[in-house]
Amino acid sequence: MLQFYGRAWEKARGKAWAAGAILMACTAMTQAGTARAGTLTVYTALEEDEIADYVAAAKADLPDIDLKVLRLSTGDLGARMLAEASNPQHDVIWGWAVTNMLDPRVMALVEPYAAKGSAALPAAYKGADGSWFAATGYMAAFCVNTELLKAKNLPVPTSWKDLANPAYKGELVMPNPVSSGTGYLQIAAILQGQGNETGWQFLKTLDGNVAQYIKSGSKPCKSARSGEYAIGTSLAFAAIKSVEEGFPIKMVIPTDGAGYELEASALMKSSKNKEDAKRFLDWTLSPKAAALYTKYKEIVTIPDTPVSKAAREAGLPADLQTVLYPMDFAKSAKERDAILQTWQGSIGR
Amino acid sequence: MTMPATPSAIPLNRSPARRARSSADERLLYGACVLVPVAALLLFFLFPLATIVWRSLVEEAGGVGPGNYLALFRTPGILRAVTNSLAVGLATTAVCLVLGFMVAYAVQRTRMPGKRFVSAALSLPLLAPSLVLGLGLIFLLGRNGLVSNLLGTRINIYGFSGLLIANVLYALPQAVLIIQAALRHSDARYYDAAEVMGATRWQQFTGITLPNVKFGLLSAGFVVFTVTITDFGNAVTIGGDFTVLATEIYNQVTGQMKFGIGAAVGILLLLPTGVAVYIERVAAQRQFGTGSESALPPVPDHVPARDVPLFLATMALALSIVAVVATVVFASFVRLWPYRLDLTTKHYAITLSGGYEPLWTSLGVSVAAAGIGTALLFALAFGLRRLPAAVAKTVYLLAVLPVGVPGLVLGLSYIFAFNLAGSPLHVLYGSALLLALCNFYHYHTQGFLTMVTGMRAVPPALEEAATCLGGGAVRVLGDVVVPVMVPTLLSVFFFLFMRSMVTLSAVIFLVTPSVTLGAVSVMRLDEAGFVSQAAAFSTCIMAVVAAAALAMRGAVTLATRRTVS
Repeated sequence: MLQFYGRAWEKARGKAWAAGAILMACTAMTQAGTARAGTLTVYTALEEDEIADYVAAAKADLPDIDLKVLRLSTGDLGARMLAEASNPQHDVIWGWAVTNMLDPRVMALVEPYAAKGSAALPAAYKGADGSWFAATGYMAAFCVNTELLKAKNLPVPTSWKDLANPAYKGELVMPNPVSSGTGYLQIAAILQGQGNETGWQFLKTLDGNVAQYIKSGSKPCKSARSGEYAIGTSLAFAAIKSVEEGFPIKMVIPTDGAGYELEASALMKSSKNKEDAKRFLDWTLSPKAAALYTKYKEIVTIPDTPVSKAAREAGLPADLQTVLYPMDFAKSAKERDAILQTWQGSIGR
Repeated sequence: MTMPATPSAIPLNRSPARRARSSADERLLYGACVLVPVAALLLFFLFPLATIVWRSLVEEAGGVGPGNYLALFRTPGILRAVTNSLAVGLATTAVCLVLGFMVAYAVQRTRMPGKRFVSAALSLPLLAPSLVLGLGLIFLLGRNGLVSNLLGTRINIYGFSGLLIANVLYALPQAVLIIQAALRHSDARYYDAAEVMGATRWQQFTGITLPNVKFGLLSAGFVVFTVTITDFGNAVTIGGDFTVLATEIYNQVTGQMKFGIGAAVGILLLLPTGVAVYIERVAAQRQFGTGSESALPPVPDHVPARDVPLFLATMALALSIVAVVATVVFASFVRLWPYRLDLTTKHYAITLSGGYEPLWTSLGVSVAAAGIGTALLFALAFGLRRLPAAVAKTVYLLAVLPVGVPGLVLGLSYIFAFNLAGSPLHVLYGSALLLALCNFYHYHTQGFLTMVTGMRAVPPALEEAATCLGGGAVRVLGDVVVPVMVPTLLSVFFFLFMRSMVTLSAVIFLVTPSVTLGAVSVMRLDEAGFVSQAAAFSTCIMAVVAAAALAMRGAVTLATRRTVS
């Protein structure tokens, strides 16, 4: 390549072949992944290392499917899918925040499919019309920097109520609900759990301690682990990852309402390869997949799945329903605009 | 730009038939020089932009109207976001112009030592993924950063000050690129004459140097201001609660999957590019800053009173930039920054998100972006000089517009424009070529302004002379224009190459499972919580860019030495 451009420079004067060569290079570059039979394009917001694990297993079980996976964060993926809506490029949505999935514009793109195994899922984990189902979920958690707290002689908080303690003033960072889905699920859980009036009152009190509303959901945890701030409200995934990497982080699942999010999957109406798409969706609910989920996920909705390693480490009981606040996802999707308006008006900076 | 069309009465020594043929040839060449780049601009910039204008008018309820703009003005805190944007934009512009002129002047017009080091340091922010600059600043200046720990306090950079530093870091190299193109050529005879007339150095500086770079300074200021107000990457990383207008796009599109208001903000951010009308008028003033056929390049002499302070200041600046990047490179070799500082290479064993493969795709895409881009920009800047003033003005405005479009908006606009079922353009969608084109148009303005600034140094009289000696337009290009333009062509090429290697905000909407880029890998590793691996991958990108740049520079030096001498 380098050599080519060096020579092209020399010959560019009047030598038409240089232009021809560039044209040829251009044509070579347009060889996009045009859909072949057996090719399945999957858009997902699951985390990078789990995807690698799941995809390897799925490929072993479905060897004839050429599985192509694009991973983007929840927000970026949503923007991309809606922008592509007139001519969707994917066959399957796999593991994407249900709050986003319930958006009517997304619902218009998917087709109901009762995946094998979805009948066994509790009603809360699937769409009534079969348009989506969720095999897994993630929950909100605090990332607490134990070294910093020790240096400041502060106790480890265990609940949202604890975070309102003035002793933490200026050491608390939260995600901004206007730009981050994680931020929204945290305040939605507080508002649904405490009721609107007390909920908003509490959020305003908490606001006095917040040093910064960071614009992404995982960054508060990164801020806490690098020692910028003592406590970041984030996701359990980010906390577990930080503990694994060796940072002085303790994961705290708030006892008074850990908001959580389901990771929903659906079949695209526009798919040109629905047979394989359905086989893949079936696979995501298979016992083999369920066994893999327990390596990474605090919340696995598939019945009779043993308590996951992640959940055990988070100190969660075998029956998640006892600690998870029963989030009403349809409600939190519907009220999103109004809640964000109120938040921006009364708390946002 | 106000130059008459090809001088018709000059070629006396040629037969009428030959003259007619060659002038037809010339018209063809000049026509192609303008038509091809303008057609590409229309197709790969204006057309996608039109889809955004359309989206900004489609209301949430489904109708067409100004609803999104009205909703934007009702968004809580929007006025503060606007004033914040203006404040940080103006502050960044002022700082970048002063520092940028200082660096460009020190490199082009003095005999201070260490110029190569300063130039190299200044190109670091261009070839560093934005993650590196953000992390580096926090590692150095954060509450738990090196400086805070040395001083025993907790500095709070999140907010205006952090955003200002990050923006300067990002925009300064782009200012230097343009100002340097303006300072590169000058005529020693002006200075000799001034010397003879007893003008002091300061008088020479304010009377000759500054007016000559007026166009370059204005262009640089324009670019810095615009990239600052349209960028939200820095605002998200280090802006804390300091909200700017561009973050409203991020809130709307990424946070809430809404295009309407986001598109409206994108369109409003184009307004400041209107300033370019004024700059274009300056460009039309030919009394200053244009090349003369008998110009003698000034040979800088050694003036300690000027060179020593400039040396110290530029070195301090260059070292600060190096420190930001070097901290991240160092951290990528550390087991667990900032807690366990023993060295390791384990973060370089990257297997996730395709391992290192996307890096090589990036390399191909970036060479294509830079090659196609430099050729089109050169043709446009060359052809523009022969257009009637009114047409030239329109083309000029179109060519400087891309800088006003935030990357996220550009990326989405490419989906809207090229992902149309049944459209012949759909063949491009999902291809590496479209990524290359998107990256080029993302940085079109900077390349164009640099090229135009450089082109002003080509002496028109020399072109005319070459024409009357019987040289066709091709000879004029080869013998007169290209030799003068080589340094500018190279700097534009490397600018586009470097930015294309690391830019992220637009390409996340265009990568596919099969065609993905290094910059996206950095983002994915960071999002997956592997910050050290993201730093390691960034280090590899920077190493590859530096190696490729050196190799290409070497190849070009060899090639030009053989052809020019």
